[in-house]
Amino acid sequence: MKSTEEILALIHAALPAANVELVLNPSPCAQHSLRVAPADAFAVASFLRESDELALDYCSNVTGVDWPDKEITEKVKVTQLVDGEEKIVEETIKRIEPGYLESVYHLYSIKRAHEAIAGPVVLRMRTINRTDQVQLPSLTFVWRAAEFQEREVFDLFGIVFTGHPDLRRILMWDEFEDHPMRRDYVDPDDYEYEPTPHDEVLKRAEQQSKPTGVTA
Amino acid sequence: MAVEDKLKIELGKQGVFVTTVNEIYNWGRKNSVWPLQFGLACCAIEMIATTMARYDLARFGAEVFRPSPRQADLMIISGTITKKMAPQVVRLYNQMAEPRYVIAMGACAISGGPFKQGYNVLKGIDRYIPVDVHIPGCPPRPEALIHAFMTLQAKIDAQPLTGTERPRHLDAAAMSEFPVPTQGAHDLEPPANRLVWPLPAPVASGENCG
Amino acid sequence: MASSPYFSLAILFLAALGFGLAPLGLAVAWAKLVSPAKPNAIKNAIYECGLESKGDAWVQFRSAYYLYAIIFLIFDVEAVFLVPFAVAFTGLGISACVAMLVFVLLLAEGLAWAWAKGVLTWA
Repeated sequence: MKSTEEILALIHAALPAANVELVLNPSPCAQHSLRVAPADAFAVASFLRESDELALDYCSNVTGVDWPDKEITEKVKVTQLVDGEEKIVEETIKRIEPGYLESVYHLYSIKRAHEAIAGPVVLRMRTINRTDQVQLPSLTFVWRAAEFQEREVFDLFGIVFTGHPDLRRILMWDEFEDHPMRRDYVDPDDYEYEPTPHDEVLKRAEQQSKPTGVTA
Repeated sequence: MAVEDKLKIELGKQGVFVTTVNEIYNWGRKNSVWPLQFGLACCAIEMIATTMARYDLARFGAEVFRPSPRQADLMIISGTITKKMAPQVVRLYNQMAEPRYVIAMGACAISGGPFKQGYNVLKGIDRYIPVDVHIPGCPPRPEALIHAFMTLQAKIDAQPLTGTERPRHLDAAAMSEFPVPTQGAHDLEPPANRLVWPLPAPVASGENCG
Repeated sequence: MASSPYFSLAILFLAALGFGLAPLGLAVAWAKLVSPAKPNAIKNAIYECGLESKGDAWVQFRSAYYLYAIIFLIFDVEAVFLVPFAVAFTGLGISACVAMLVFVLLLAEGLAWAWAKGVLTWA
């Protein structure tokens, strides 16, 4: 198996215009991944599959990642005039880094199975934000196995795969509106009773029994 | 007219068998309970094992698992009920002919079990339909299911045919249709049938500690 | 009338009819008189694995199913005749063996014909 850097070099050699970058994984497993711009995804995916050297013909897993809006606190040193004197003052600046959704594809090669020892090739795509611009291109036409898993990602994360042949919910019912795997999903309050409620559940139980006042 | 137990035993010694309509009716009912043939999750494997030769549920008159609710008396809820599946389960229960019984098998059927915190798991089937016997376990062993079945038989046997305690099918005013929940935008609607599953009394904080 | 040779047959026919109809009548009477009827809208609905039934029950399906059923008969009939043949095999002469081979060949020919016609291809 080639290293991720080598695969990236191959992609760049074949598709010089494609916007693909390496995402390093600093943890000991060092499972680096390739982030591809949605516009180039189809070309890159087709190359990965068709190229004789890589022949990544098996998509084992499609999943999603939710990156919520992050509040970042930074300490910046600013020069300020205090009482006519220039001083270096530390200021804390808060800014909000907008979140996004990510789809992750794990690719293997059956054709070159004997070389696949270093784990899957990880392909990632990012949406623009988490609310209204959540479209990503579907890779179902490259890897047929991605069809149901993209439906699952659509169901649980709310990423809309454009060009998907049959984009419906797969786990939850059709009338369901939320995306349960998102970080900000609030699940319905239906824990009304436990024999020994405590902490959060106790709070909920007390809250629920208050407004109606109905008892058993 | 009831026969006194002692007299019955005495008569039995003399070779005379005495019974009441109540007894023979319940004897017939309890020995011909036909379960509905359906399984929901891993508990179903234990249920299948129970019906097979080693545990042999047929000894109790329950060998015929019916594939249609029209012919079934007993619903063994064997496994996790997802919110997607719950309306189907309730509808099947409604389609069963009276008298009908429910065994909630395993932690999931009772309360959601290990998946209680899950967004798509119903926290116990008794929110929608009345359950006769609960079996704890994850999954319960076949012996536990047999024990639950015997408990159900004992329950059937003890039922009087008249009075307020009579079985539901002999009570014209008793509830027979249990509303099927609809799948709403965020949750099942309603989240529970309050007639079957009343809201428990408020718990005072600290009362349960120790 | 009683002298008619068919009289006893008519009596037997009536008895047979009675045997057939009496249980039905008993079942209907039992259901009417004794069984607790608690119908409701859901119970009276069409049974479909707990789902609400949708659409029409009159649907068309492929004629290929029918062809498969016919071809299944080849193996079915073959087994029906081959099993007794195999049981009595040691006591049979050469002529029986030849007859059986002819029979099997005839059936195999049917299968080969269907195969050549493309019946086994599901498309």
